[in-house]
Amino acid sequence: MSFIVTTQILVALALIFAVFAFSQRLQAFSKLSRPVDKASPKGSLQSGVLYAYTLGMAPWSKESTRLHAVAYLRGVAFHVGIFLGLFLLVTSPWLGSLPQGARMILAICTALGALFGFSGLIARSMEPNLKALSTRDDYFAVSIVSLFLASEALWLLLPQAQILFYLVSAAMLVYAPLGKIRHCIYFAYSRLFYGKFIGSRAVLPHTQQGAR
Amino acid sequence: MSVNKVDTALEMLNKQLNQPITTALEVCARCGICAEACHYYVAEPKPENIPAARAESLRQVYRSEHDFVSSIFPAWTGAERLSEEKLAEWADTAFLKCTLCYRCMVNCPMGLDTPLLMSTLRTIATATGNAPELLEMLADAAIEKGKDPEMFLDFFRDSIEDMEKELRVLTGIPIASIPLQKQGAKKLYVALSGAHTILPVAAIFETVGEDWTLSIYEASNYGIFLGDASRAKTIAKRIFDEAKSLGVEEIVISECGHAYYVMRWLAPNWFGDEFTFRVRSIVEVLAEYVQSGRLNLDASANPEPITYHDSCNLGRKGGVLEEPRIVLGAVTTNFRELTPNREEAYCCGGGAGLVALPEAYDIRMSAGKPKADQVKRSGAQVVVAACENCRLQLGDLNGYYGLGVGVTALADLVVKAMRLPGDKATMENFMTTKATETAEKTIDKV
Repeated sequence: MSFIVTTQILVALALIFAVFAFSQRLQAFSKLSRPVDKASPKGSLQSGVLYAYTLGMAPWSKESTRLHAVAYLRGVAFHVGIFLGLFLLVTSPWLGSLPQGARMILAICTALGALFGFSGLIARSMEPNLKALSTRDDYFAVSIVSLFLASEALWLLLPQAQILFYLVSAAMLVYAPLGKIRHCIYFAYSRLFYGKFIGSRAVLPHTQQGAR
Repeated sequence: MSVNKVDTALEMLNKQLNQPITTALEVCARCGICAEACHYYVAEPKPENIPAARAESLRQVYRSEHDFVSSIFPAWTGAERLSEEKLAEWADTAFLKCTLCYRCMVNCPMGLDTPLLMSTLRTIATATGNAPELLEMLADAAIEKGKDPEMFLDFFRDSIEDMEKELRVLTGIPIASIPLQKQGAKKLYVALSGAHTILPVAAIFETVGEDWTLSIYEASNYGIFLGDASRAKTIAKRIFDEAKSLGVEEIVISECGHAYYVMRWLAPNWFGDEFTFRVRSIVEVLAEYVQSGRLNLDASANPEPITYHDSCNLGRKGGVLEEPRIVLGAVTTNFRELTPNREEAYCCGGGAGLVALPEAYDIRMSAGKPKADQVKRSGAQVVVAACENCRLQLGDLNGYYGLGVGVTALADLVVKAMRLPGDKATMENFMTTKATETAEKTIDKV
């Protein structure tokens, strides 16, 4: 068995582990109670949820993201890079025949994702507030994901780097459900609960209240 | 003993872990973007005043109890076992360093409900005997009062009769009254302690010919400040039972943020299908009167620069954002907004029971600085707040920062702008005296 095939099997096993661990978490989560709000809504619950998943995430929608627009957009770009990176990882066995131009574009995208990740890491280790908030898990999580994107960009440019890409990917996938990266599975719930809150109480979106 | 406290706290934490709380514990990416959302941080930009940092203390314990990696390498995730010292730290954080204003949630890119975690800390602190004694006493006093209303009813009737005399002078309506325990009334109005939340509203109700009755209970609910659902429910039940026995259609809550929040958003969950009443803040009712033209108003009666402070419980947590502006638009000629306002408004710094705690005075004066700065920048001479807690805090900020403003309730401005045949000077004198008396009583109580 070649080393490449071995690393492919390794990634497949890591992926199975990640999917299994995440599904276990979600299963345990689904067993927890979810309070039902019996108060009659003042606004529209659906509008609130829709807003929470769309315009509510726009950088201009809230004071915090207006104040920290650069950090916020850096984070958004990093996460877009991660989703692209994961998609490319899963489809990597079939991407060998991609034209060079397409590989280059994808490499630039993932490299940018990595760059935003590493710059976030630098900010985390330099800015006093972020430094005070951070744990070792935070540093490691951002590092491993950024490395994943960087190795992916390298592989897209140099197919010989596939082994490195798969090894880093396997490490990231194994770590994902164990550390801070697992916040990804709770994100959708958090926005859902937030959307229900602001929607049913007619706090947001503004159009629910008429002109402001 | 200390082991028991820790065990009780952990048991309580595990009991509280539902989907929203678990989400709030897990989803934080510690990005720090929420920092300036907190008025404590704006007043004093220290890392420990960042909402994410405040909630981290609970997350540390949650991880040590519920996370595999943390149980093996606690230093890796910053996990910490719960200790009695940490419990005391939790109580301090939850009761003194967070006013549950929800500004951080609205500003979090994840929509993370940090106030829910702070409420959980309050619940745990109360269950382990770490809650401020005064809040417990106030909650228990309300519960005791509810057990035997006959004890105070005669005295209450006498004070209402005194108020009715003033009401008749003011409104010029010889049969104007403040009905108590009126069977079948449409609205049950629940006021606060003191004539200042009864008389102006009575004048408005009687002038528009409203079918109403006054609750014999106060709207305040200190149980909610304790994070103690059981006590909060018992206090709310007095009003629920009264509304049910009188057969009213609607419960109208006085200008009080937390009382509105409890009856409007929490009580329906506590009393289930039996809770058939509509609940509104008096602010919403006033807006309805203005919009339907039921009040004959003269906005020029309030010509001075006036601004409005959004109470967190009414606004960001209750959606009563436009109604006060509808009313102010009709009763003032020089209204100006504070910046930011509505769901982005700063908390006054005295919410969630802080204003009742003498030990919190310095903290709330410091945390109220962003609000004081806002008021100063607005150039207003009068600040309107539809919440008693906010008004007390704004009054204190006024003195502390030398703002030179008057602080008033919305209903007071409405009465001032109403074209009444009665003697308004009498009313104004009466209200000023009663408001002072109430403020003094509150201070005495504290």
